[in-house]
Amino acid sequence: MTNQAGKNTDDLSSTAETPWTKPPVRITRGTPVYRADRTPQVQIYLNEWMKGTAVTMRHFFRNAKERFLGQKRDPVLEDFEGGVTTIEYPEEKRPYPERYRGLHRLTIRDDGSPRCVACLCCSTACPAQCIHIEPGEYDEDDPRHGYERYPEVFVIDELRCIFCGFCVEACPCDAIRMDTGMHPTAYDSRSQFIYDRELLIEFGGRDGARQTHNPRHEPGDPTYPGLSRDEH
Amino acid sequence: MTWAELSLTFIKIVIVVVFLLIMAALSVWADRRQGALIQDRVGPMRAVVYLHHAIVRALIAAPAFLIAGAISIPFWHQSPGVEQARITTGLEIAVLVGWFSLLLLSSHVRRRGSDNGFEAMVAQADPRAYFYGGLVLHVAVLPLARLVPTSWYAAGGIQWGPGLSGAIAAMVIMFCGLYASSKVPDGKVGIRIAGLFQPVADAIKMIWKEELRPDNADRFLYALAPFLGLFPVLITIAVVPFGSTVCFRDANHDGGLGFGELFGLQNIVEQSGQCAAGHLPVHLQVVDLNVGLLYIFAIAGTGVIGAAIAGWASDNKFALLGGLRATSQMVSYEVALGLSIVPILMIVGSVDVRTLVDWQGNNAWGIFAQPAAFVLFSVAAIAETKRIPFDLPEGESEIVAGYLLEYSAMRFGLFFLGEYAEFGFSAVLLVTLFLGGYHVPFLYGDGIHVAFGSTAVFDLTMSHLAVTVIHIMAFFGKVLFLTFLMVFIRWTLPRFRYDQLMSLGWKKLLPLALANILLTGIVILMIDGGGEGAASALKLIADITQALIALGGLVALVAAVTWLLEPAHRKRLVHSSAARYAAAVGDVKASDLQA
Repeated sequence: MTNQAGKNTDDLSSTAETPWTKPPVRITRGTPVYRADRTPQVQIYLNEWMKGTAVTMRHFFRNAKERFLGQKRDPVLEDFEGGVTTIEYPEEKRPYPERYRGLHRLTIRDDGSPRCVACLCCSTACPAQCIHIEPGEYDEDDPRHGYERYPEVFVIDELRCIFCGFCVEACPCDAIRMDTGMHPTAYDSRSQFIYDRELLIEFGGRDGARQTHNPRHEPGDPTYPGLSRDEH
Repeated sequence: MTWAELSLTFIKIVIVVVFLLIMAALSVWADRRQGALIQDRVGPMRAVVYLHHAIVRALIAAPAFLIAGAISIPFWHQSPGVEQARITTGLEIAVLVGWFSLLLLSSHVRRRGSDNGFEAMVAQADPRAYFYGGLVLHVAVLPLARLVPTSWYAAGGIQWGPGLSGAIAAMVIMFCGLYASSKVPDGKVGIRIAGLFQPVADAIKMIWKEELRPDNADRFLYALAPFLGLFPVLITIAVVPFGSTVCFRDANHDGGLGFGELFGLQNIVEQSGQCAAGHLPVHLQVVDLNVGLLYIFAIAGTGVIGAAIAGWASDNKFALLGGLRATSQMVSYEVALGLSIVPILMIVGSVDVRTLVDWQGNNAWGIFAQPAAFVLFSVAAIAETKRIPFDLPEGESEIVAGYLLEYSAMRFGLFFLGEYAEFGFSAVLLVTLFLGGYHVPFLYGDGIHVAFGSTAVFDLTMSHLAVTVIHIMAFFGKVLFLTFLMVFIRWTLPRFRYDQLMSLGWKKLLPLALANILLTGIVILMIDGGGEGAASALKLIADITQALIALGGLVALVAAVTWLLEPAHRKRLVHSSAARYAAAVGDVKASDLQA
């Protein structure tokens, strides 16, 4: 049992002093609170008011000037400059880092068809199992018949995706990339998050290109290795 | 009173009431937006109105055409004696609109790129060059119009000189309006105007919100209180003159103003602004009371009733405490407010508001005649409007929202409106009593006369219409500017404690006001004993203060524009991959694909 003063009341009751009286007040000794000298200059208050107004005016005029004359500070490149730091989102956007993993896209060949050969590497590597591919065979007379397949259906559920980038690493053909720099939009329903082949092909990289710089070795090209699934 | 006079009075009432309400909305906006920019924030600006591009183009072009028409018509009006002034005015307007538009275009093109060769040519010069060039042209135009002899532009009995210069001004305005409207992009255009729609959006929101009334509230008084808060402000502004006296020619000599006579303005009035014989004066003031100032204080004093009744009728102890605080604060500061202007009344010798304003125009502004009274009055006026640093009737940590606590929706909105209208009205009072009302330095009824003592420096005769327009614009401009300055006080000072507030009012402002009265009395007696010498010396000093205002205003304007147009110098640091990417792209302005 302790009382307010923090003393053990059991000890107090054993002594001759009565426990029922108020314990003596302890005077706290600390550093005194600083109070400004009450000189006339301080008391008149106008001096400090002028100083304060100068500060607020400086901030206001600087910010108003920068805002209304289009001299706003760049939120990324001029990060350490003063002024209004707000990025007004829908109109202004902070750029993501170069290697930001955004929404997927399917790269295309020169003829506009997807580079994807439907090898299922990405959907196998995907830990979230968000990629669904239904492979299709080319016609008999197509030079690519027996060499590779194409995706009849290529669907990514962007709600399931965890944006780990394993699919990009697994792809042997540079057919799937995450360099769009976009994040998923807020949609009304879940079904809208399921991106199909055509939508994924539509997206471009940050430079807008829908192809990649890595060469492809089509049948007929001098670099074509001449291998086919049927011969070997 | 004729029907024409009655309708004029009605128009004047509409002007002052609408002005006060617009002032309330504007100061709400200034309070929020300005406060945000002071604190390095953006502030409320999301309220937006989307309009079709054709409507936006019309909204830009139509005012330009209207102004051009309104300007050019008086210039063709035959009026002997002011041709030179009219030519000068027309050219000055053309120069003003010209350099301002070129400046805007140049800075716009430099930011956003040019659409055609003309814009590229305009953007070759720095925006500041247009400003300086405009200033030089402004000065150069003054002697230009005087060099041309009158016979040149009055050939064939028709004075085509003034009409031509008016037409030049009108054409410049129309061209600028058309060009600006052509810059509006196609499609849906969102109009924000720096967030000015935010108070409007707030009002719409408040009208549609649910009204909550405490069960045991006094129904009648509870509903009445918001109106009692707003009402006194709207009727006190009635005696404030917002322009000089307008003189209409009494065409049919019946001594009354008819509708037909409204278009016959006197050509040039006397220097004192008095109408000539055979003319009918119309004061730009709703009522010209000879006890105007007393009326203002009597009615403004009833503003406290609204707060007191709101606190009482809400059936809430916090509200009652807030009402009591508001009451005692306003009653206390009413005393200091009234006593602080007594020295001005002693100097001028009248309580008629128009006489007070005219005295300032002919002598020195009140702020120079009575600087101490100006400080005392402005402090008391801020306390009277219950604004920070004197916003003691409200206090989140002590009495929540004070007497506003139980009010919601538009009833609260009315209190809010009343408070800001009161704020605007205190600016109106300060302008009227201390900043010369509608007067502009050296501008008299018949034009500009720069003179020190008895030495004339510059003279320019101007028509009655031009002087009247400048006076009205000066009054409203001064009020807007002062309101803008007064908002800074709110964002600068921390609030007082309640006992500090009371001791400031009773122990400091009141004795100081009394001492100021005593001192002023002694000085007045000394000047009266000084005779002619003292009077003429005072007149010279008064003229110098007027020159100071004019010069200070010009220098401040030039300095402000120069500073505004100075490009911002910033240090660029590429220290993250995002920054590297942004630097590579050129800017952070987003492409469509960039999130």
